Amino acid sequence: MTDFILSLKDVSYRYPDGTSALNDCSLTIRRGMRTAVLGANGAGKTTMFLHLNGILRSSTGHVRWEETPLDYSRDGMRKLRSRVGLVFQNPDSQLFSASVREDVSFGPMNLGLPKKIVRERVEKALLAVGMAESADKPVHNLSYGQKKRVCIAGVLAMRPEVLVLDEPMAGLDAAMQEELTVVLEHLHAAGMTIIIATHDLDFAYGWADEAIVLQRGRLLAQGNVAEVLLKPDVQTELGSSPIVAEITSSLALTGMAVRVNGYLPRSRSELLKAISEFHRQENEQ
Amino acid sequence: MLTEQSAYTNRWRQISPVAKGFVSICGMVAAFAAGSPRTALLVALILSLATVLGANIPPVRYLRVAAPALFFLLASGLSLLASLDFSYNSTFGLSLHLAESELPRIFQVCCRSLACLTALLFLALTTPLTDIISLMRRCKLPETLLDLMTLSYRTLFVLSEAVHETVTAQSARLGYASLTLSLRSLGGLVANLAVQVWQRSQALHLAALARGNDGALRFLEPDYPDSPRAISCAVISGVLLVVLAVYLP
Repeated sequence: MTDFILSLKDVSYRYPDGTSALNDCSLTIRRGMRTAVLGANGAGKTTMFLHLNGILRSSTGHVRWEETPLDYSRDGMRKLRSRVGLVFQNPDSQLFSASVREDVSFGPMNLGLPKKIVRERVEKALLAVGMAESADKPVHNLSYGQKKRVCIAGVLAMRPEVLVLDEPMAGLDAAMQEELTVVLEHLHAAGMTIIIATHDLDFAYGWADEAIVLQRGRLLAQGNVAEVLLKPDVQTELGSSPIVAEITSSLALTGMAVRVNGYLPRSRSELLKAISEFHRQENEQ
Repeated sequence: MLTEQSAYTNRWRQISPVAKGFVSICGMVAAFAAGSPRTALLVALILSLATVLGANIPPVRYLRVAAPALFFLLASGLSLLASLDFSYNSTFGLSLHLAESELPRIFQVCCRSLACLTALLFLALTTPLTDIISLMRRCKLPETLLDLMTLSYRTLFVLSEAVHETVTAQSARLGYASLTLSLRSLGGLVANLAVQVWQRSQALHLAALARGNDGALRFLEPDYPDSPRAISCAVISGVLLVVLAVYLP
């Protein structure tokens, strides 16, 4: 089994209106990892996602699943789309049916599975995103966050190996973001490869293992999230750096080298824990 | 939206759509089988009472949902009754003529329509549209028609939200402050919606592709327990209704 599950090699894509969205873009997605894709608006994040799912086909270069270039035949696409689940940013533009259960069943029905299995998968997917209790409500009476979770359930019911989410946290309040993070954590623990496009550096820094930074359709940086987000050119491109990293380095300048279990803190809660740990050790000495 | 609200909250929400659909169809058959206006009115009364008392729909809401249809019924009844006469012996060569001899037939037609309306409301107010669509799917109605219904029904809410948001944004900038401005804003709204419809249809197409779709929309039918009790109740009451309509003078 290869380490890389999906990769782009020299992929360029120009929209019919002439906008160039990807420019010789090469990058790799590692199996079982949580990857955050960052970049300014128009950097090519969504276009890149549409390539991973085979919806867009590049004019040059190629996209590979493990070692093999994508097969764009009908069967090839069916196989790819059952493996790579794509959740779009706006839930209203991807929910078909006004019934939650019916909508979630759409993907697995497209896979041609027997009804009994579809029914089972729908219930499990709804349970996984915590929407089992709202399954009988009409979609238009759900909140924005709930609609988003229904979208995720619709993709999970296809049992993909890779889950791609385009700005899943946009428009969610703090509590809903937290709930969604828990859902994603469960999926990651179950071995799913998760790719998220986001503008939230703090979220990316705390959640992801890997980061991919795009700049005008090209790969600017890729690698361990803590290393990538602290690179000067990445910080210039994204216009800022994770607040936890900034605070940690300011504290280090004042002589407070805070750590959690020997590592630099990555999230707010880890930072607070590291600071109190530092003070406890100071007092003990 | 009133219909929606009732469909999701009435007492018979969890009863199999098959049972409710059967009663509704029997109601329509009874409406056509009714030999006299009196019988048709009786059928209408039974069906509306069943909806209001049985499914526990507030009477005021029932009347509000029925009001537009009743208005159309009245208007078409009156237009059937009155006819324009182009004969030469009237003063202006044109006169309004009341078809008095047709009155009984028109009354009969109106009463039947009323009974049909109550039969339709019986289903519409007790069963969410998604269930009605899946019932139609079970009845093997053409896929294209059902796909269109599914998409239109969903899009109705998406677009009504878009309209609401655009109108709010326009009003916030005094878009509807005067008649001229209102007309202009309305034009803007229509143009904007046309673009939005196009963009949304593109987005839906992409979303369908992403979820492995290659043609007809396929959904899982809801799993209602077709409880023998509900079905037999529906069959007995439906058949009784038809028998009543056929045998009453």
